Amino acid sequence: MRSETTVQSGGLHRILYVEDDADIREIVRMSLEMVGRYTVAACESCADALQVVDDFRPDLLLLDVMMPDMDGPSTLRKLRRRDSAVDAPAVFITAKVQAGDMAQYKQLGAFDVIVKPFDPMALPERIGQIWQSYREGEYGDAG
Amino acid sequence: MNTRERHNLAYALAGLFVLAFFAWTLNLIFSIQDRWAESNDITAMDKDVHALFDPWRNLNRPGNDVLENYEVAVQKRALERYLEEYRQARGRLDTDSHSGLDLRDYFVAMDSAATDMESLARRVLDLAEEREALRIAGAEPARISAAETEAATTMARMDQAFQSGLAAISDMDRLLDQRLRDLDAARRAGVGSLYLIVIVVLVSSALSLMLLRRTAKQGVALRSGSERLNAIVNNVVDGIVTVDEQGSIESLNRTAEKIFGISAASVEGRNFRSLIQPEDRDLYETSKFRERAEPVAKFYELAGMRRDGSEFAMELEGTRILVEGRPMIIHLVRDVSERKRSAERLQLAATMFENTSEGIMITDSAGRLQSTNPAFTAMTGFTADEVAGQNPRILQSGLQSREYYDAMWRSIGETGQWQGEIINRRKNGEAYTQWLNINAVKDDSGQVSHYVGVMFDISELKASERMKDEFIATVSHELRTPLTAIHGSLSLLENGVTAGSPEKSAELIRIAKSNSQRLVRLIDDILGIAKIESEKTKFHLRTLNLNELANEAADANRDYAKQYGVSLHVEPGPNDARVIGDKDRLVQVLTNLLSNAVKHSPEEGEITLQVVRSDGHWRVCVIDNGPGVPESFRGEIFKKFAQADATDRRRLGGTGLGLSISKAIIDRLGGHMGFESDPGVRTCFYFDLPVMQQRWSGQYGPGRDVASVGVVAGAE
Repeated sequence: MRSETTVQSGGLHRILYVEDDADIREIVRMSLEMVGRYTVAACESCADALQVVDDFRPDLLLLDVMMPDMDGPSTLRKLRRRDSAVDAPAVFITAKVQAGDMAQYKQLGAFDVIVKPFDPMALPERIGQIWQSYREGEYGDAG
Repeated sequence: MNTRERHNLAYALAGLFVLAFFAWTLNLIFSIQDRWAESNDITAMDKDVHALFDPWRNLNRPGNDVLENYEVAVQKRALERYLEEYRQARGRLDTDSHSGLDLRDYFVAMDSAATDMESLARRVLDLAEEREALRIAGAEPARISAAETEAATTMARMDQAFQSGLAAISDMDRLLDQRLRDLDAARRAGVGSLYLIVIVVLVSSALSLMLLRRTAKQGVALRSGSERLNAIVNNVVDGIVTVDEQGSIESLNRTAEKIFGISAASVEGRNFRSLIQPEDRDLYETSKFRERAEPVAKFYELAGMRRDGSEFAMELEGTRILVEGRPMIIHLVRDVSERKRSAERLQLAATMFENTSEGIMITDSAGRLQSTNPAFTAMTGFTADEVAGQNPRILQSGLQSREYYDAMWRSIGETGQWQGEIINRRKNGEAYTQWLNINAVKDDSGQVSHYVGVMFDISELKASERMKDEFIATVSHELRTPLTAIHGSLSLLENGVTAGSPEKSAELIRIAKSNSQRLVRLIDDILGIAKIESEKTKFHLRTLNLNELANEAADANRDYAKQYGVSLHVEPGPNDARVIGDKDRLVQVLTNLLSNAVKHSPEEGEITLQVVRSDGHWRVCVIDNGPGVPESFRGEIFKKFAQADATDRRRLGGTGLGLSISKAIIDRLGGHMGFESDPGVRTCFYFDLPVMQQRWSGQYGPGRDVASVGVVAGAE
């Protein structure tokens, strides 16, 4: 269900990814590992993510929004209670983006949102940009 | 004695009475006048008598002062003055008798007392003078004393005379006062009588006027043949037709000519029946005014006939009278078609108001509800009585802002009209959306007299709009998910990301393929329901054995059920469980019900497919022991795109269209679909199809296409 591959990339290394659809999960995992050279923990549910998060210590959380039992926002709330994921930026990945949804996602704790369908060749770069802007904001706050 | 003689006698008696009444009234007035005059006389005289008291008392003064006052000369002058004053007062008195009041004795007594007083007074003053002279001359005391004694005696006699005169004056005064009081009482009584007379005269005048008017009316009616009457008859708004006892027309006025479209000359002598539509002629013959021998006025509504044969609503009145001893009927005729039409229009409007499915409320200009219709009650839950006099704001839900209502009233104020969506609350508390159209109604003077609100309940429309929006969002999501997988895997393949790993490449190809299939399934479902609903799908009707059908469906889904750890059983019904239907479609329905049951069954659940006879139908049930249908979802379950739990959608792989498609299929086969749910114990989704008639079952063997029986059109 999960695999870990270590690749260096501008301070962002470890991505915890939760997605219920096995096919999409596989494609995203391949994209992030093989194109982006990130280390990915790909989980199929919130419960699965909670099991690995403490060992994995993610730099960034990538969450599908519509999932059975525990959706993306709920999963995020659960993960935030863990020290290992308390300050990692969260990115929602979803097919459901309509007017007003974006603001709602941000309100629910997402740092950014990626819309399906996405190009797996461009996805790692997009994640890198999001990470970059997150770090800039963080340093800005600190400095 | 005939009526005329009776009337004459009555007039004569009334005349006599009036004469006597006038004589009495005149007499009363004169007597009041007399009393008034006399009363004035006596008042004057009483005043004069009063004026006597003082001079009379003065006349007695010399007797009182004479022994103390030695200025006799002064006293003598005073006496002359007193005498003069008395004579003047006495001279003013009128000694004539007044209406039986005889005062002569008092005058005599008073005058004689006055004469005595005068001579006695003079004598007293002479004696005073004599005594004074004696005293001055120093005469003997005896002589002085004698004079004084005589003076005293004389003064005593003066007192007597004074008293008798005073008594005469006082008596007269008393008599006059008494008389005045009597006259006053009599006058008051007379005036009272006069008031009574005025009232009597007024009342009798009014009565006389009434009598006169009646008489005048009768006079007009009786002066038949006169020009004046002709003018009236020809210009009244009613048609007037006179007929004889047999119904032959004798005359008709201009209005009647207009109503019937005929000329008087052309119909005189014809029977009035000919002016009535044939079907109503008997009614005319049997009408009351044709039977009774007395004058009687009655209204009938008959179908009148114009010259051209056209029909009109006619109101007919008949009055039977005697003219020169000959019975005659006067008919008043009115064309009431217009009135009836407007009454019918009003009735139609009222019926519409009562029966329309749109809620209607009418308020007065102050916004108080005056009238509401049954549809209003059905929509709001409030009866007309409950809301009468209330402001429509009692319907508000509070879910819309003050500004929204302000804008509404501004529009009504400026344009007299507003329409839009209003969220109200029913009596039971349920909020609903209505389309409300408000119009101000103005009276003749341009003032708003009423507001009329017409309301359509669009809550269901709103709900289905919402459901469609949700469906579109869902479909969009459902389409994007497989597309993401297809696009993603192809993109990775294209860019050679997996070039070094044939397994990974194969996995990507599998992903692309299976998601393509998923996409196709979804599109099929959406198009499928659209086609079934629009009745474009062709059904292949055959006689089907439901037991065979159930087994086939169970076999087709057993593997799928196994994946979920669920077992499937069939409980077949009797061998004659046959219906007419489209086999593939019914398998589709059963597959859908079975897949729902599987998805909602607990692990190691059991699903039973049962065929039973139920009240003229064959029923096929799919029974599971899953969590069942939530209470809140039961009304929605067959609605399109409905799913109890939106987040279940992905896991269960459904489109929310399965039950809608199934229901559409069963509906088209003339059946019925339903469910019973006892959560966690037994949930049964079933469809009923009509039991096939015996003659049909023989006529159409398996495989025969029976679309031609017309159950459903569209067979090949």
